[in-house]
Amino acid sequence: MMMNASVKKGILGLALVIPSFLILFFVVIVPIVYAIRESLIDENGSGFGLANYIRLFTEPTMRKNIIYTLNVTIVSTLLSLVISYSLAVYLRFGHGWVVKWINRLYFIPMFVPGVIATYGLITMYGNHGWLSRLLLLIGIDTFPKIIYDYNGLVLANLWFNIPFATMLLSSALAAVPNSVIESARDAGANIGQLFFRFVLPLSYKTMWVAITFIFMGVIGSFTAPFLIGANSPQVLGVAMQQVFSNYQETHTASAMAVLMFLLCSVMGYFYIRTMGKEG
Amino acid sequence: MNTTVESQLSIRNLSKVFKTGDGVRNISLDIAKGEMVTLLGPSGCGKTTVLRSIGGFLEPDHGDILIRGNSVLNLPPEKRPTAMVFQSYNLWPHMTVYENLAFGLKIRKYKKPDIEREVTAALELVQLSSAASKNPTQLSGGQQQRVALARALLLKPDVLLLDEPFSALDAKLRMEMREELRDIQTLTEMTMVFVTHDQEEALSISDRIVVMHGGQIEQLSTPQEIYDAPQSSFVASFIGRINVLKGVSDGQHITVGELRVPNPNVALPIGDCIVAVRPEDIYLSTQAGGLEGQIRQVMVLGHYAEISVNYKEETLKVFVPREQAATLHPGQSISLMFHKMNVFPAISVSEVAPRQEAHA
Repeated sequence: MMMNASVKKGILGLALVIPSFLILFFVVIVPIVYAIRESLIDENGSGFGLANYIRLFTEPTMRKNIIYTLNVTIVSTLLSLVISYSLAVYLRFGHGWVVKWINRLYFIPMFVPGVIATYGLITMYGNHGWLSRLLLLIGIDTFPKIIYDYNGLVLANLWFNIPFATMLLSSALAAVPNSVIESARDAGANIGQLFFRFVLPLSYKTMWVAITFIFMGVIGSFTAPFLIGANSPQVLGVAMQQVFSNYQETHTASAMAVLMFLLCSVMGYFYIRTMGKEG
Repeated sequence: MNTTVESQLSIRNLSKVFKTGDGVRNISLDIAKGEMVTLLGPSGCGKTTVLRSIGGFLEPDHGDILIRGNSVLNLPPEKRPTAMVFQSYNLWPHMTVYENLAFGLKIRKYKKPDIEREVTAALELVQLSSAASKNPTQLSGGQQQRVALARALLLKPDVLLLDEPFSALDAKLRMEMREELRDIQTLTEMTMVFVTHDQEEALSISDRIVVMHGGQIEQLSTPQEIYDAPQSSFVASFIGRINVLKGVSDGQHITVGELRVPNPNVALPIGDCIVAVRPEDIYLSTQAGGLEGQIRQVMVLGHYAEISVNYKEETLKVFVPREQAATLHPGQSISLMFHKMNVFPAISVSEVAPRQEAHA
């Protein structure tokens, strides 16, 4: 049978798409479907249902963990964003040797592996760490609990996320021309108006990229919370691992994974919506 | 220069020198209300430095800038009673044309109906009423610059600063915008300081021109005076086209080759001098008595013709009416005489501006 040109082209097109589709299918779609299926099976294996999800939201420990995770994630994301934005603005519009040095140093944490950085934070901020010992030298013998606590976890998240977010935002701010700032000042804009009416709208998309990446990174983090988080409540990543390995409740662990996936999807939705916007 | 109370803008002994050595030194300038003054000069002459200092984007090393009698030196750009039209339009890409125009009024706390009225009027003034809801990127270069102009005019500045606003536009559009700007200036009676390196632009729109060179003012006069009576060989060669010849002065007379003419410059020292003659001020004659030259080329340029005449090692340019051009042909011997000329001390021979630049 003769094939006409457009059919041939169509087949070629499909052939080119199939490899990437297969990878996507087996690496992303199948595991998701499998996880969803697992999460719907009762823990005793008796049948399908929402029992695992009901348990996530009714069992006090589980509920606490979810709220705790959201709390840590949102606070860490917002703090990272505010600090990196300030830093990026300062690097973009400031002058002098301080700017020069910050520019050279700020991304160093990105090159320190997470485990090492976490132990570094423990030795620095721990109850008998460097900081408390230094404070003792000048007569301060009360030291707040940072490590193995909420604060330490947020601090670790800041350490991991600020450099990357600053780098992203710096490149966005570099694309804001001086001339725009000058003409805005010429029109009478003060510092606040400059930021909220010009700098922010012109780097808005990158801000969402930063928010999305920080959010996803923090909500799914494991190493830092495992090493310096409190025993209870725990973030979802650590709790999931315990439910999965220690209690061997794989179906509940799957439900937790699906929940985390849904939380990330919300972020993903905003991200895609922002990226799709014109201008 | 004496500062009068009426001065809308007064620049006093302004100096700003950059690390590169460029900049301006000891500039003083007074501009009256409603005046259009152009800062003209080649790149690096310091004209933009002066403008940006007025706008508050540069901090001078010395000197003072007064607007309506008050020093603005300590005011940041957003507090100065100035508005600037930038070379690169500088419209804000995340706002519509309307929002671009309304922004300045909004932060000046105008009421909404007032903003609407003012913006509409400003858009009408620059003939862009239909573009209000458009994005700046949807407009052509000329339209964008019109919006930028409207945006600056709306702020009703005491002094409007224009930094080579038309240099990114093509020649025809540039000419149209020039006329439009002059109309707007006449209509609004706004004080304007205009920076350009285009001498034609400067001659056509200015009440007065400040010719700058090497960070200093070479001459400050009306366009006509600048053209007719340049005070230095730099000004003579930068503004319009000019032929430069060597001459000798004995105080009373100037001798150029075979020509001996009365000295028009009483301040000229005795000895070698530079004689500058505009192409339209040379008279070509078949009768002897002038400089004896030979026609090299006849180029008819519409209503006039440009004649190149070899005189010794020089090639002189002469403009003649096209009727006369018809009687001239290459190779012909011809005698040149001057209607008018400018003479300068020979010492400034090295300061003669590269002519091509002025015509770029």
